[in-house]
Amino acid sequence: MNLDSKVQLELRGISKSYVRDRKTFPVLDGVSIRVHEGEFVTLIGPSGSGKSTLFRLIGGVEVPDEGQVSIGGRVVTGMRGLISYMPQQASLFPWMNARDNIVSALEIAGVSRQEARTTTQEWLRRIGLDSVGNEYPRVLSGGMQQRVSFLRALLMPRDVMCLDEPFAALDALTRTDMQKWLLQLWETQRRSVLFVTHSIEEALTLSDRIYVLSPAPAQVMREITVPFERPRRADVWTEPAFTALKQEIMALLEQG
Amino acid sequence: MGNKVWWRVWPPAVSFAVFLALWQASCAVFAIDPWTLPSPVRIAMRMKEESGLLMKHLAATLQLAASGVGIGLAAGVALAIMLHLLPVVRSAISPFVIASQNVPLIALGPLLMIWFGFGLEPKLILLTLVCFFPIAWSMLAGLGRAEPYLREYLAMIGASKWQILRRLEIPASLPFLFSGLKITVTYSVTSAIVAEWLGASKGIGYYLVLKFKGYDTSAVFAAVICIVTMCLVLYGIAVLLEKWVVYWRPQSQPLRPGEKR
Repeated sequence: MNLDSKVQLELRGISKSYVRDRKTFPVLDGVSIRVHEGEFVTLIGPSGSGKSTLFRLIGGVEVPDEGQVSIGGRVVTGMRGLISYMPQQASLFPWMNARDNIVSALEIAGVSRQEARTTTQEWLRRIGLDSVGNEYPRVLSGGMQQRVSFLRALLMPRDVMCLDEPFAALDALTRTDMQKWLLQLWETQRRSVLFVTHSIEEALTLSDRIYVLSPAPAQVMREITVPFERPRRADVWTEPAFTALKQEIMALLEQG
Repeated sequence: MGNKVWWRVWPPAVSFAVFLALWQASCAVFAIDPWTLPSPVRIAMRMKEESGLLMKHLAATLQLAASGVGIGLAAGVALAIMLHLLPVVRSAISPFVIASQNVPLIALGPLLMIWFGFGLEPKLILLTLVCFFPIAWSMLAGLGRAEPYLREYLAMIGASKWQILRRLEIPASLPFLFSGLKITVTYSVTSAIVAEWLGASKGIGYYLVLKFKGYDTSAVFAAVICIVTMCLVLYGIAVLLEKWVVYWRPQSQPLRPGEKR
């Protein structure tokens, strides 16, 4: 990774706590992370380490108690509509077919309907999902729904893509499939991605850099640069360095 | 498939036939006066004799009921969206709206006639008051009950309040809207009849009054059959419309009473 390249997303000293039943629950404690242009960065941490909260802060749905969010060099804390987002649940609208789901999201992002339609159609064809465009979400498999959801996020004209455990609900085989698919697609596009996962293998397979978070209140325990070259081989997990890194992260998560 | 339909059709068909047969037999065996309880055959014959008149009055009632549903639908949807967007207004006027639904039609009808005369206006106002409520209230519930994860998705990509309304809340509320509409179409017919009963020169309600006064019980029964049939047809139309508009829900319906999400 060229460290001179532009920083697309930067979180500086983000802290956030919730108050429930008059008790304060700190969730994030001074988290600072960066995503450079064209970089795939993963956040990994135990359940309940505030990763989803972090996303809501980046999305501007919530405001941090301390710290600031910058996108493209501009401080945008609490501002909405600057990221594209792929949630854990595919979140496709049941009354629209796959194509219109994508078109609708692009329109929300300010793309004209005509342009949104053309782009969507072109991309569905390019990635071999032509036949899926006319289908309604309920007839699509979980993996297929997530492909549509990913394409929807990819086509949004925004600088940063936030993917929140997108494959967590899929079975193991589909998941491996989806990782391969996403890797291929991403490597042709090189968008700036912030990815959240529970799976160490997934993080190592996909990312350029990994931030390991501690349990709540979350802090960055370590920042790991993933040494494998791009385009990344699907069987990168066979390399000894992969196993070593996996053990290192596992140890961190256990100790945390 | 055909077999299944058949098995759903024949038990009620048989029970209905048995019911008619018992009725016919009782009338003959106990020699019941036709003006007390006419036999099914007598009703059918009277219905045939009166078919022209019945049709004419039925058409008038249908027109009144349909206007009520139309206005009620427009008013109900507009009110639901307004109350959804303005929670303050919602809490301010909800008690009035709910109270308005508890004023008996028998009291409201004559009042409206005192205020607006004997023309079409008081009847339309009465019908609109009856029709808008189920639509407005079920749609209002639906607007607030859009899937939370879709709401979260739209918030995350920066959708505005209007975009959320248009792209999520309104489509998500349509199944609820139709639950309300199905109630409304049946209400509308009975309310139209009450309105006509109170004062009109046409319509099936007017016809009923006339026939009651003349002790023409067979004609009263004939009219009731026409009314029930019309209600069923209107309900059927609402169901078909629902299937057509809410095409994305193959089986599941919005919550029925007593159901859990």
